[in-house]
Amino acid sequence: MIMETTQRLKSAAPLLSQITLLNDCGQISTHAGRNSSQARRHFNVSAALTAKVRPRPKPRAIVEIPGLERVTYGERMHYVPGLSKPVNPDWERGFKDPNRYKSPPVHEMPLHKEKPCYIFNQRTNALEGVRQALWLTKTKLTSGLPPQLLALAQNPTYQIPDQDERVQNAIKHARFWDTTEGRPKKEKYCYTLLNNLLHMCGSLQSSHPALSKRILAEKFTLAASWKRGEDLFQVRGKNGLLLNSMTPLPNFAGKQEVADTADHVLETFYPVSPAIDLQKVHVYKEDNYTGFRSDYPYPNAHTLFFLEAGDVSCKLYPDQLRAKMIMFSFGSALARAHTLYGTQLRVLDHPITVQAVGNNGRVFQFVVFQLNTTDLHEDSGIKNQVWVDEDVLLYDFAKVQPLIKKKQVVVPAGLSGYNPETFSKFLALYLNGAV
Amino acid sequence: MALSCLTRALRSLSLSPPVGLSSQAVVQTKLRAQISPNNPLSLPSATFISNVQQCRGFLTTASLDQNRRYWKQREKYTIRPIGMRKTGGRDYTGKIQTHGIGGGHKQRYRWIDFQRLNYEPGKEGQPFDEKVVEVRYDPCRSADIALIAGGNRKRWIIATENMQSGDILKTSAVIGRMAVSANEGDAYPLGALPVGSLVNNLEIYPGKGAEYIRAAGTSGVLLRKVNGTAIVQLPSKRQVQVLDTCMVTVGRVSNVDHNKQIIGKAGRNRWLGIRPSSGLWQRKGGWAGRKIRPLPPMKSYVNLPSIAAT
Repeated sequence: MIMETTQRLKSAAPLLSQITLLNDCGQISTHAGRNSSQARRHFNVSAALTAKVRPRPKPRAIVEIPGLERVTYGERMHYVPGLSKPVNPDWERGFKDPNRYKSPPVHEMPLHKEKPCYIFNQRTNALEGVRQALWLTKTKLTSGLPPQLLALAQNPTYQIPDQDERVQNAIKHARFWDTTEGRPKKEKYCYTLLNNLLHMCGSLQSSHPALSKRILAEKFTLAASWKRGEDLFQVRGKNGLLLNSMTPLPNFAGKQEVADTADHVLETFYPVSPAIDLQKVHVYKEDNYTGFRSDYPYPNAHTLFFLEAGDVSCKLYPDQLRAKMIMFSFGSALARAHTLYGTQLRVLDHPITVQAVGNNGRVFQFVVFQLNTTDLHEDSGIKNQVWVDEDVLLYDFAKVQPLIKKKQVVVPAGLSGYNPETFSKFLALYLNGAV
Repeated sequence: MALSCLTRALRSLSLSPPVGLSSQAVVQTKLRAQISPNNPLSLPSATFISNVQQCRGFLTTASLDQNRRYWKQREKYTIRPIGMRKTGGRDYTGKIQTHGIGGGHKQRYRWIDFQRLNYEPGKEGQPFDEKVVEVRYDPCRSADIALIAGGNRKRWIIATENMQSGDILKTSAVIGRMAVSANEGDAYPLGALPVGSLVNNLEIYPGKGAEYIRAAGTSGVLLRKVNGTAIVQLPSKRQVQVLDTCMVTVGRVSNVDHNKQIIGKAGRNRWLGIRPSSGLWQRKGGWAGRKIRPLPPMKSYVNLPSIAAT
């Protein structure tokens, strides 16, 4: 007994010296013999806690035989080997407690449907990018902005005084000055840059009063649903910025061009199905919702602004960002069409145009989407049109520290490689509809 | 609860007498303290015990329950890399079971789908195509892995030698009368392939998933096809007889020059998670040295009805 206690004490208290242990052991044991009524302290680690923990065996599977009742030991009020464990009915709270609500399983929800729906949400990273978005929205792609916008961009009358200098100041503010630390993070400078550019564009309100008939909305909700072949698709999401206006945008393609799109063949990408990467759900509502009520004074979506701010949950390549822009501009156009003309499939007499600008702080993507038809069932017929201007750099480098290779300055510190045309295009997209 | 146990135990260790102790007891403790003055940390004497609560010992090691491999608990397949917990060669008791494993760069596990004939729900029975999205390095194995996309899903597979992004791979379970001219990377049952083709990712039992020939640069050879079974030679020259409905991919596994890699320094081995072996010189026994012996007999994984049964 003494040896056992010594061993346990040794393992538990390595700080004590050998002699001390033996001394104290002797003291404790002798005292225990003398004062047996007094409690003994166990400064040891009990054996039950250091035993080998075998992997837990899997519990026996309980077989339910319909028609046979199990004999349980519930009535006897104590465990009886051989009888089965009584199963108590699930407890139900008699009243409704909103803090403790347990949702029913998916197949019992009221909106559950057998047919699945594929949803494109704001975090979707489409595998095939723009090609997938084009197939889903039945669209014909034209690279480069429409000529009317390009003419507007180059027109010197519609430019801000000191435009280049002010834009460069805006970039420097976003990329260098807007922080107390070394350099601002991407999540911050994206937003700052966009706000600065929008503010500058808005300063033209004094000369163009039609610009005041617009309003910005942040994190707008969008829902649009349509059928493509056998499957249901939806666009849903809470997104970046939306510029709404009182008057709709003018169309870029004339009637003849729209009729010509009927000859275009949509690109397929076998073996990948177009619904890849889309969220497949069985509980959905076929809704069309622009994000605003019907009596809103600014009902027409003018421009959508998307930011690729390096969000960890969804990092998008430029191709995927363009796909997201196309899908959401299509969604807002479709929701507007459904609100105006109803959900019947038809070719629109007055096509709806929506613009979109996407950027990651340096590289801009411009998308102009024109919805010509809501008849998206088959692949043939009149298609929608989209003009995409890809990868337009606003500036080459905005470095806090200069890049030095082999003692030569390759890229100087500060803003370098500024491209004035990008902002002219941005301004043209902004002024479109008010000029 | 653990904190309260700890505080209760530590409270029992206090050297000062607890409040409410009689003066007689205090005198006795002082005497005892004088007897053993040199002890840096002496156990409080037994007279304290009467006024101290019974305290169960507290565990000084971490909970042994943590030594289980809990990190891989997902049931649903995903292509997202999963964080891994390393074992260091230790088993569930905490003792080393395999020496020489430990440390190394952190790795994330990419869930490889070894069952090449994994039909999409709703499209069972038909041969299908898949497109290679990217081929990349996998820290958990010597071979490279490929992300392939087909229909509505994406999955990881072991890449074969000349696989590049954009390739289309075919998977089919049909065994025709004529052998298929298979392209590299396609997956067919053994009965559909011509004799002599190089294969990898061999299934032993149909539907179980590939368990053999998965390492970098390896390949097996289909030797013969005998009424419903096929005989494959594994990279170790061992021959194996399996049912001819077992799926197999055609070609050599990727990363062919893996065995020619020179480690170069001890540090690289440590980055790979290989700890140095024991430096103690040990007399080598019968297991060491070159062995020249005949090949082991062919292993059959097929339950053929024996002639004796008839």
